[in-house]
Amino acid sequence: MKLLYKELALAAHPTLFIFTLLGCLVIVPAYPYSVIFLFGCLAPYITFLYARETNDAWYTAVLPVTKKDIVRAKCRLIICAQLSQLLISIPFALLRIRLAIPNNPVGLDPTAAWYGFGLMIFALFDLIFFPAYYKSGYKAGKAFLLAMLFVLPAMLSVEVLSHIPALAWLDNTAVQNLPAQLPVLLAGALCYAIVLPLACRIAGYRFEQVDL
Amino acid sequence: MTALLHVQNLCKAYPGFTLTNVSFTLRPGRIMGLIGKNGAGKSTTLKSLLNIVRPDSGAVYMFGRDFYAEERDLKQQTGVVFGGIDSYPLKKLSAVTAVTRRFYDGWEPARYKSYLRQFGIDERKKLRDLSNGMKVKYLLALALSHQARLLILDEPTSGLDPVSRGELLQIFQSIVADGTQSILFSTHITSDLDRCADDITYIQNGRVLASAEKSVFLQSFNHLRTPEDTAPLNLEAIMLRSEPATAFTTMP
Repeated sequence: MKLLYKELALAAHPTLFIFTLLGCLVIVPAYPYSVIFLFGCLAPYITFLYARETNDAWYTAVLPVTKKDIVRAKCRLIICAQLSQLLISIPFALLRIRLAIPNNPVGLDPTAAWYGFGLMIFALFDLIFFPAYYKSGYKAGKAFLLAMLFVLPAMLSVEVLSHIPALAWLDNTAVQNLPAQLPVLLAGALCYAIVLPLACRIAGYRFEQVDL
Repeated sequence: MTALLHVQNLCKAYPGFTLTNVSFTLRPGRIMGLIGKNGAGKSTTLKSLLNIVRPDSGAVYMFGRDFYAEERDLKQQTGVVFGGIDSYPLKKLSAVTAVTRRFYDGWEPARYKSYLRQFGIDERKKLRDLSNGMKVKYLLALALSHQARLLILDEPTSGLDPVSRGELLQIFQSIVADGTQSILFSTHITSDLDRCADDITYIQNGRVLASAEKSVFLQSFNHLRTPEDTAPLNLEAIMLRSEPATAFTTMP
């Protein structure tokens, strides 16, 4: 917890907090909501860049912590930001239903399935980004581009799903579609819960080999 | 008495540079100076022994315990300052201190405040607003305020004015006076070591050329004396005469 406090007080770039708040964009009537996940991926990228430029790793390395602790804290920060972004979006998604805003013509509505896909996309990004960044401890741009090679097609696929008539149930916030959507949400949660510890472990192992 | 720091055969290979079997021992109540010319391996030694750089082989014992196995616990009792590294330049000193103090069980707020007063540091300033010398002083204030038994300092006096350097050397001597704490510091300013060091470790091309109590160290280089030398050589003279001469040629 001390390291997470350090991350929040010293290492996190302000855009991390701003992008986390952008979960509220689900209230916009017509918008490709998967872009919200892109903000959830850009936030760690900018935060890692900022940490590199402010010599965050050097400050932390002399504290009574190990290199694995350093990686674990950074992963926890990003997990908090990504999950908070999704949690922040929930009241706005509910408000959207309450206001009877018509179906989003651009892409998938913020349904339970959309949240499931969001967790899968975050898991995919983190699985590539964390280990790729901590292989060197400074190449944030390369790690981000590598992750985006896989994440952008995944985001695009989520938006395309809403335009496939057979999958219209994914794009409907009506309660009767919830039982069909919940397995997608569950799969997303499971994916995130399994992949994130794995990504952090690989990143931690790699960072141990890095010379600062 | 258990050595506060025992470095044993530390090796680290880089392309073009190798740290080879670096070994030395720092006993309680001592100030050890780590000397060597630029690129000799002083900083690499300090980074390797702290696991900031991963050594290829070797062992480091702090307070008789294996550092690499108990890094987290042993760092609680260690104060570290690396000169020339600016972390969080846009943050106020008070913000950095508020975070740092949480990590140390032995944090002493009164001692920290007293160092701030002594060094003339204003906590409301941002790190980027401090001169290099003031930055080092601030980092030293942090390192000296959590009851560290071992201080590891890389070039702590570089960038300081003579008055501040003198002040700092006095602080170093008062820290080790009770015989429980020790200081290992690397420096180019050998006159600082002439004044305060008890032991000297000299690194040349990644190898320890000599490591001994200062008077023994100075005597061991008596073979470098010439008939013109009426007094024993000081550290600067030893370094100048030990390093291979660099040939300078002028462009035609």
